[in-house]
Amino acid sequence: MLRHRSKLMGQINGMLMFLPYLVVLVMFAIVPIVMAFRVSLGPSRLYPEGGFGNYLFVFEDFRFLSAVGNVSLFLLIYLPAMLIVVAVLSLLLDTVQMKYTLPLRLAYLVPAGISGSVAILVWYFMLEPTYSPFAGIFAEIGLTEGVQIFNTTNLVYIFAIMAFFTGAGNWIVIQYGSLQSIPQDILEAARMDGANVFQQAFLIKLPLIRKYLVYMLILVFASGLQIFVEPYLISSSVYPGLAKDWSLNQLSYTLAFTGSNLGAAMALSMVMLLVSVIVALVIIYRTDFFDEARGKMKEKTIG
Amino acid sequence: MGKSLTARKRPQRVPLTKVKAVSGKAVAWFIMILFAVFSVIPMLWLILAPSKTQVELQRSAPLSFGSFQGYSDAWNNLMVFQDGRIVDWIINSIWYTGVQVLVACTIAILAGYALSATRLPLRKTMLIATLVAMIVPQVAFVLPLFVEISALGIYNTAWAIILPGTFYPFGVFLSYIYFSTTIPSELYEAAKIDGCGDWGTFFRVAVPLSGGLIGMLAFFSFQVNWINFFLPFVVVSSGDVLTLPVGLGILFSSTPALSPQVGANALPIRAPEIALAGMLVAIPILIVFLFSARLLVRGVLAGSVKG
Repeated sequence: MLRHRSKLMGQINGMLMFLPYLVVLVMFAIVPIVMAFRVSLGPSRLYPEGGFGNYLFVFEDFRFLSAVGNVSLFLLIYLPAMLIVVAVLSLLLDTVQMKYTLPLRLAYLVPAGISGSVAILVWYFMLEPTYSPFAGIFAEIGLTEGVQIFNTTNLVYIFAIMAFFTGAGNWIVIQYGSLQSIPQDILEAARMDGANVFQQAFLIKLPLIRKYLVYMLILVFASGLQIFVEPYLISSSVYPGLAKDWSLNQLSYTLAFTGSNLGAAMALSMVMLLVSVIVALVIIYRTDFFDEARGKMKEKTIG
Repeated sequence: MGKSLTARKRPQRVPLTKVKAVSGKAVAWFIMILFAVFSVIPMLWLILAPSKTQVELQRSAPLSFGSFQGYSDAWNNLMVFQDGRIVDWIINSIWYTGVQVLVACTIAILAGYALSATRLPLRKTMLIATLVAMIVPQVAFVLPLFVEISALGIYNTAWAIILPGTFYPFGVFLSYIYFSTTIPSELYEAAKIDGCGDWGTFFRVAVPLSGGLIGMLAFFSFQVNWINFFLPFVVVSSGDVLTLPVGLGILFSSTPALSPQVGANALPIRAPEIALAGMLVAIPILIVFLFSARLLVRGVLAGSVKG
């Protein structure tokens, strides 16, 4: 009887502690999705009867396909660059003795301060030959004018550079953290078997952190898909219209605020959200990244 | 740590491989230092740029220092923009982010503790929902949030920016992992036997032991909210309600600094001034990063690989 009561109290206290979070979860994640979904199915100028017409409108819009192309190409450059550089540098950091690498790791964290609108600002100056610290290098390869760098062909590389430098250092330090926690006896055994530094790095360490690299790639993919601020700000200042409707989120924004087609904007947002949610479910159910978290759940539920 | 260092020392080698190992190490250091240089140059440039005049910025060596006078000149010029609008943006950014960090972390710690140490009903569903919300980028919610914020009647107010920032699923997840792995469950049980209720255990046992967790939570929520561009950009239109990163975006498009088409004589805001505004956004993040370095250099995944 007493146990029963304390169990009930435990449930009530648990709910009370969880309540504030539940409120914001409902208010700022679930409600906006439901409302946006309803708007996406609602009547619009072109489809007064509502339904999936707004989705059709987006898919048939010529800007949609080109934005999909731009964002795909951006991800094709950005993701492998992240994977290779983060893997190589975190392995290098782990291979040399750790006490000397502290200043390096701190240096790698510095670019995280340069993100969002500051990233555009700084990288504009880094790439503009009249201001750039790299102007000498640019001149060597014949680039002396801003327009030689800032043009439609190069945009995708420029955005990839901005995104890469904002995130890579942070991830190097994170992956280095997971490398540091590989048990010494495993590496010791490998050394006894005659594995050299490269073999240890690529045959022992890399497979052990593989799932964290996969996790990183999936997260980077999900956020890369949403790229907005870089193309938007470049197009609204230095080179007006250069990257107009370049990314999917820009198109969504244009549809909502200048095309006054909120239904279509929400349809596009819903499609992008759906992709993100599928990505999330794949990580949770198809990789073993959150197994520990879920395993704990099971223990708790049984116990 | 000391133990792992000695354990990692390599066994003696024959001279030839030693030569190879030394040159290999040199290459490794070269690559690591090169990457460090590329990491630091943009920030260095950003800090040095406002010390120079527009002409110096174009003529003198890119990483040279102008004068301290340069900073105050640049600031005075920035103040010309809409009668000191930049001050509004700074104040807004500080108090919005302050409220967000405080509320988001409190909510996240409570929820993480409830998930890990109380008998919360529907626990599994809540955890999965949190994981999904944590992986989906916040940017994906922005346009849907616009619809809700307009319907709530808080469009163009501080709350439209602040409230969504208090939703912090990553913080809930970090707290949940912390309370279920770092703090042994025996401690909670001992506290309960000693007569602490759920709240007593939370305040007297869990919170005092979570200094590291709280630092980590505050750090990540500060970083995300301070730099956030898309949400404030979409849900607020008045200059006096905006934040510093969006204000920087406005300086991009409405001053001659980056938009020569605006007209060079319209405003005294050129490259040094806009660099100063960018520096004001970047420096707080840099400071917080370096202060949290002790937590970060270990990496959030430290201790996660189990052979």
